[in-house]
Amino acid sequence: MTGNYPALLVTVPLLAAFVIYGCSWLHKRSCLFMALLGLTIPFAISVALLKKVLINGHISYHLGGWDPPWGIAYELDPINAIVLVAVTTVALVNLIATSKEIETRFSDRRGAFYALYLLFVVGLLGIVATGDLFNLYVLLEIASITGYSLIAMGDPARAPLSSLNYVFMGTIGACFYLLGVGYIYIMTGSLNMADVHALLPPLYHSSAIVVAFIFCLVGVMIKMGFFPLHSWLPNAYTYVPSPAASLIAPLMTKVMAYVMIRLMISVFSPKFVFSSIAASNAVVWLACLAIVMGALMALAQRDVRRMLTYIIVSEIGYIVGGAWIGNATAMSGAVLHIINDVLMTFCVFLSLGAIARSTKGYQIENFSGLFKKIPVTMATFVVSGLSIIGIPPTCGFFSKWYLILGAIEGGHYGFIVVLLLSSLINIILFFRIFEEAFFVYPKTNAVHTEGEASIAIAETPFVTLIPLVLTAILLIFTGIYSGSLIALIIKPVVSAGLL
Amino acid sequence: MKRLALLIVILSGGLLLYATKDFPSWGDPNSPASTHVSPRYLEKSLEETAVPNVVTAVLADYRGYDTMFETTVIFCAGVACFMLLRKFEPEERDLYYRHIPTGLTLHIKGEKQIPSTSKEFEKIDAIWTPYDFIINTVSRFLVPFIQLFALYVIAHGHHSPGGGFQGGVILGASIIVLAVAFNLRTAVRRFGEKIDGIMSALGVFIYAGVGAFCAILGAEFLNYRALAKILPVGKVMARSHGILAVEIGVGIAVMAVMICIYNNVASEGKFDEGL
Repeated sequence: MTGNYPALLVTVPLLAAFVIYGCSWLHKRSCLFMALLGLTIPFAISVALLKKVLINGHISYHLGGWDPPWGIAYELDPINAIVLVAVTTVALVNLIATSKEIETRFSDRRGAFYALYLLFVVGLLGIVATGDLFNLYVLLEIASITGYSLIAMGDPARAPLSSLNYVFMGTIGACFYLLGVGYIYIMTGSLNMADVHALLPPLYHSSAIVVAFIFCLVGVMIKMGFFPLHSWLPNAYTYVPSPAASLIAPLMTKVMAYVMIRLMISVFSPKFVFSSIAASNAVVWLACLAIVMGALMALAQRDVRRMLTYIIVSEIGYIVGGAWIGNATAMSGAVLHIINDVLMTFCVFLSLGAIARSTKGYQIENFSGLFKKIPVTMATFVVSGLSIIGIPPTCGFFSKWYLILGAIEGGHYGFIVVLLLSSLINIILFFRIFEEAFFVYPKTNAVHTEGEASIAIAETPFVTLIPLVLTAILLIFTGIYSGSLIALIIKPVVSAGLL
Repeated sequence: MKRLALLIVILSGGLLLYATKDFPSWGDPNSPASTHVSPRYLEKSLEETAVPNVVTAVLADYRGYDTMFETTVIFCAGVACFMLLRKFEPEERDLYYRHIPTGLTLHIKGEKQIPSTSKEFEKIDAIWTPYDFIINTVSRFLVPFIQLFALYVIAHGHHSPGGGFQGGVILGASIIVLAVAFNLRTAVRRFGEKIDGIMSALGVFIYAGVGAFCAILGAEFLNYRALAKILPVGKVMARSHGILAVEIGVGIAVMAVMICIYNNVASEGKFDEGL
């Protein structure tokens, strides 16, 4: 059975989603339990797989017993194994933390909600694990369709329209990717990533392959919200219901960033990407623009959730920039930043969801006096904020550190300046919230809401608080251990790929 | 903005044209697409899977894992329609009933209503279209033939164009034709929302379940060869039977999802008269 772990990792939550939706028509209460089970098992499997990959090296799993390139294969190396662990961890912890809200908010359609939740996770896990270009597209469709519908369940006034906008942009992105894959198939006759990688070198100067690469890349960049193509992101991630926000916002864009790196290393080769295309300077400058624009637009927001969505745009800029600088240090920094950014975006969205219970809205003014009312929840918000800024003990610092080292090595001083500038802007962004929450006390509530007595806001319930605190601690731990993360997991794969 | 959009369109179009420069020529038998993986599919599929239809063999066996997720995409679409559109709270408004023997319409204001078990009265909406004898009768006669044809298409996918997706759509159409010719309530009475929801999950569950069952029997996921251990056939024939099992699953799922999407979209999730 252990030999089947790569397939079971993806298909256990898949089967669970079907069982949950079927059972929701008969017995609604059992849905949550099955959803938890359907995410705990893949979490355990992903940890086991990571261990196995670290001990035995690369795992290749042939689905249906057909050898690639005829059949579909899953390829696991240390990097995607750790991304898989990050995805399953976030999905499981988020479900535990937000289960209460899901149960009350979607009580009449919770079966459908859990099914879509699990299928979204299935899509992401499959995207990360697969070694087949077309299989990646199919799973991308699953992750997108479930993502669209989860987002559309938010604020009834705005969410459906933002989701529709996302549908248009997302579909265009998927089309570009599919066109690129089609061109690769025409030129090589294969869909398997490793096989394409082996067949491509004589075709590096073919116009069709260059266009295929551009199309795949543009498609993936639309999906990850890279700066000029990010227009769907802020609205979609602002109006999404909060249990889905802390699932989708950390995972979708980062997994797509991983896909970009995967395309660059395992499908096309660094030689093709950095020598034949010779666009890396332009892309790094575009990434710099993404970082600055994301930070500036975040500065213009008064709504905290909207501000965070622009921070995501800026973080994606870090990853793209790091990946395109084109040396092993910067690439390792980019991969580390994917994992760190998953964790810190998750922590900040989860704590924001918990804070929203105690405030009337997401405006900065609503945060006044929150440190007194919900000290522990606010503490986790502070930790995630510090991590996004990049203050040493938290993990955000270390990935930025590697990115800067890589940029020095690659001579991209503009990137360093931009990175430091955006960190400074992040300090302003978060400290104006901390200031409001710490030093400003709300004027007596009676003035604002006539007649209503001021209600002492209690701390977040334990079912949400404990996962939240654990996530915040994880941010610090990942920071402390990021050296070994780089040395053991990321660097070996990246160096092998880049040489 | 419009100019920018035009520029981008021209640029993408130009790239597409530029890419064709190095394409293998049209219908070239020596192009990579027809020399790399396809020869094995074309030459070996019968002896490896015992399925004469190459398309079915590639779709449901060589690349069966993709097809499982394609079916899941359809399932997702159905669940998403249910999730976004279904309204459970009835809106407050007047009730209309049709007295079946006379065809008179009864308009009730306020709380009172006629029990749904009544044989003489039928609940209708204000925008009710009158009963049409010819259309109703013809479509009622058509339903069993449509369903029979659908089953043929599913079962015959091994030998001719067809299979679970096409057959499932035809099966779904047989119920939707009732909803169009009569009204949505009649169709939902015949094929309820609950059974529809359960079947949509059951269909995809059969597909993924067969795959998981192969894994339990000790082979890779979706390696139908393992089914030879429990079926009285050889390993190659077991692949053919495995394909039939997943095609049936696809058929059930596609049928149920088509009906679910139609019902929710046609009635805006209220499950009333429909279109």
